[in-house]
Amino acid sequence: MSVRLNPDLRNELVQYGIGDWNACYHCGTCTAICPLSEEGFLFPRKKIRLMQMGLESQLESSVEPWLCYYCGDCTNTCPRDANPGELMMSLRRYLTSIYDWTGLSKKFYTSEVWELAWILFFAAMVVISFLVILPSFGYLYTSELTAEGGVKVNSFAPISIVEAFDWSMAFLVASLLISNILRMYYKIIWKNSSTKVSLWVHIREFWLLMFNFAVQPKFSKCDDKRYWLSHWFLMSGYTIMFIVIVVFLPWFQTEKILPIWDPQRLLGYYATFGLLFGLFVAIIGRFKKTDVKFRFSHISDWLFLIMLTLTVITGILIHLFRINGLPMATYISYIAHMAVLVPMILIEVPFSKWSHLAYRPFAVYFTQLKKNAVPK
Amino acid sequence: MNHKDSIGIFFYNLPVTLPDPINYQELISYVASISENAKIWQYADFPWNEVTIRKKIETHKLTRVIIVGPLPGTVKGLFSKAMAMEGEDPKSVMLVSFNQYGVWSGKESERAKALLLCAIRDIPFEIAAKPDDASVNPATLIIGAGIAGIQAALEIAGSNNLVYLLEKTGTIGGKMATFDKTFPTLDCAACILTPKMVDVNQHPNIRLMTYCEVQEVTGEAGDFSVRVLQKARKVNVTTCIGCGTCAEKCPAMTPSEFDAGTTMRKAIYMPFPQAVPNKYMVDAESCIYLKNGKCKACVKACPVPDCINLDEQDKDVVLNVGNIIVATGYKTFEAGKMEQYGYGKFPNVLNALEFERLLNASGPTGGNIHYRSKDKKGNWVFTTESEKPEKIAIIHCVGSRDKNYNKYCSRVCCMYSLKFAHLILDKIPEAEVYEYFIDMRSFGKGYEEFYERIREEGVSMIRGKTAKVEEKNGKLLIRGEDILNSTLIENSVDMVILSTGLEPAEDNKKISGMLGIPTTECGWLEEANYNTDPTGTFKGGIMLAGTCQGPKDIPDSVAQGSAAAARVIQSILRGKVSKDISGLSLHDIEKHIEALAPVI
Repeated sequence: MSVRLNPDLRNELVQYGIGDWNACYHCGTCTAICPLSEEGFLFPRKKIRLMQMGLESQLESSVEPWLCYYCGDCTNTCPRDANPGELMMSLRRYLTSIYDWTGLSKKFYTSEVWELAWILFFAAMVVISFLVILPSFGYLYTSELTAEGGVKVNSFAPISIVEAFDWSMAFLVASLLISNILRMYYKIIWKNSSTKVSLWVHIREFWLLMFNFAVQPKFSKCDDKRYWLSHWFLMSGYTIMFIVIVVFLPWFQTEKILPIWDPQRLLGYYATFGLLFGLFVAIIGRFKKTDVKFRFSHISDWLFLIMLTLTVITGILIHLFRINGLPMATYISYIAHMAVLVPMILIEVPFSKWSHLAYRPFAVYFTQLKKNAVPK
Repeated sequence: MNHKDSIGIFFYNLPVTLPDPINYQELISYVASISENAKIWQYADFPWNEVTIRKKIETHKLTRVIIVGPLPGTVKGLFSKAMAMEGEDPKSVMLVSFNQYGVWSGKESERAKALLLCAIRDIPFEIAAKPDDASVNPATLIIGAGIAGIQAALEIAGSNNLVYLLEKTGTIGGKMATFDKTFPTLDCAACILTPKMVDVNQHPNIRLMTYCEVQEVTGEAGDFSVRVLQKARKVNVTTCIGCGTCAEKCPAMTPSEFDAGTTMRKAIYMPFPQAVPNKYMVDAESCIYLKNGKCKACVKACPVPDCINLDEQDKDVVLNVGNIIVATGYKTFEAGKMEQYGYGKFPNVLNALEFERLLNASGPTGGNIHYRSKDKKGNWVFTTESEKPEKIAIIHCVGSRDKNYNKYCSRVCCMYSLKFAHLILDKIPEAEVYEYFIDMRSFGKGYEEFYERIREEGVSMIRGKTAKVEEKNGKLLIRGEDILNSTLIENSVDMVILSTGLEPAEDNKKISGMLGIPTTECGWLEEANYNTDPTGTFKGGIMLAGTCQGPKDIPDSVAQGSAAAARVIQSILRGKVSKDISGLSLHDIEKHIEALAPVI
């Protein structure tokens, strides 16, 4: 069976941050130096070849870009300055846009204006909701304080409404992400006409998905373990925060000022610390550019970091203003918090950088399925 | 010149940041002053593409196009195509390449103007800019006595002219003297070279000056005055009988340069047994007497009175010559820079020169391949007592074709690696040899056939450079990708040979500054024209030969040595030598063109 070439593909890929796609002369150094490349799933060189040849269908069904955790050894040893590490990063962006059936991901990755416009649109919607829609239902800003001297948050951001909104946003994002994962599954596993994977293997290997989601063991195989740690703090902090604000909002958004050792506060502080630590490492890294993994920044990388940082900072401010009884400041920070958080979740999670939270563990799972595939 | 020509002059001046940039405005006003019917555009004037250029050709009815800039060749295709599409002769696109003719900055604006004038008048620059002749001193200086320098010296001396053959080390022969065999003929290198070395030594027209360095060159083509530092050998070359008693008694040991550090030599030594001159010399850096003022064991042992004089001082010698041939050679890439291959860390990871000595009958093991092992004192040495390796891997392109080190191809490594593989199988028939290569460059006469022969001998050829060498269970573990199979292969071998590339010799910069010859971006000396004058330089009376100009193999070095000699002999026979082109003023060139115009 012959495969169709798409010579325009590489020009298209340049928009995702791929630099000199033609520099590679296939010496194989990158594959051999990579601590994660393994038999049957060789990268980066093989993927670069697919890209140079414009073998679109093979590139789309590649799982390997997700198995790379960007230690940068390949880029450091590449004799051609072909930058295989960043090529793999760019392929992840490309694949994200391929899995996404709405076509929005491609728009967000290839047009900065488009991405910024949507972020601003969602932010504006949030601000309008707080300033116009909620007050019209009688939820107004009040300078009254609770008996303990805390701010009455529920008077302008009622838990029931915020919770319903959180759930619907989570539902929307999850359905988009799940449908994309199904497309990923279709491209990587289902479409392969020569092999099949039994249902039992699907069930047996499912634990890998959970395990990889929770600890990213592959990441820890990269040479510099510090990045695995800072990423794990960021990931765990984010996951905790996400669960408490979606599932346990009534428990988390309280007006009562709880003692400092209360699990609610401790969990919140841990999550904040985890997020800040991870963000600090990433932002400093991207400024210093000493490590390869942070040397090249696509606009989507910066937007993600900036939005998450703003979310965390506004979150901290809400907490501080609330317990110190500063109603106006709390109110403004709450709106600002939501105005960053909402566009970040709606754009980053299903369509952009943050979708890796699902694609990466699924890729490990799919890899395991492929390893257990039997010829039809 | 056809006055009806409508010439379009396109300045391909991409924005650059240089301390002294070329002044394009000055050039443009010069063009306007010499040609009324020339239309001038700059790169920034309009977006250069096929459509816009075709439009310019059409509206201005251009019949000739001149592209001017540091590297105009890059856009020539665009213009040729546009001319052809407009029904004009695509060949009437001319280039004025500043890089090719040594216009680098605003300082060379005269040269730039001359180039433009020649292009507009359609007269080749080489013809218009013929420098004046000077009478020539028939003596010639050759700097460097490797194979290229030796060849040139023998050619010139054979025409009954005087040659000063200058060599930095204590013996002539250069790198070739250290080799065992040459590719692709597998001739014994010493058998070819040593007769030539002896010829040099015995030739009445050759003044051999070993252990000398050029300090200063003054004068111009035809009449150079060269100040040479004659370093003190501390052994009288005329009276030394080469008996070796001094070295026997000498207590100071240091790694032998000739054996690429695989053996030790004394502080008083002969570089190798066939050295020319076949005399001893003292290495001032390792001599104990010169450090402490005590020892003189060699002086006491020497059977010839007053032969060794440890207090001899360096001295200056001035030579007057008409022509100079630069043949300073190369150095090999320091394999230790690529940490991933473990050179310097693992004793059985060798560089090419070390392995060349290991193969050589005059090398540390008498030409037998043995491991490097620990001796009683704990030093890593090659001895015939240790075992022979059974699996040997050869890694190509170490330090070559690598933008982190040297981006160019060193040209010889593929072939000498194949030669290594052959010689390994020759000496250890049951050995397994692996060649890890990226692309096999067997481009010369008989080279591809040699490659085929080595493959037939059973050498495993693996396309894919290795990423790293590690030590595991006393063996060397090599991890690499077999590109043709898309598999990761881990190979456990006994010995790894790194095919280290060629680099400009350390003195290239010094020579370049002293003689006023530019170097390329990579540090090789720049020839006058790569295609048509590969031995000449921008300076009259100075020629290049061998690897100082760029990586090349022995046949090419010998050919260039002869070619440079031919140029020298030509000037001696004519009694005249062309002066520097840089001595010509714009006015001179204008006068030449006026004189030439009726002829062309």
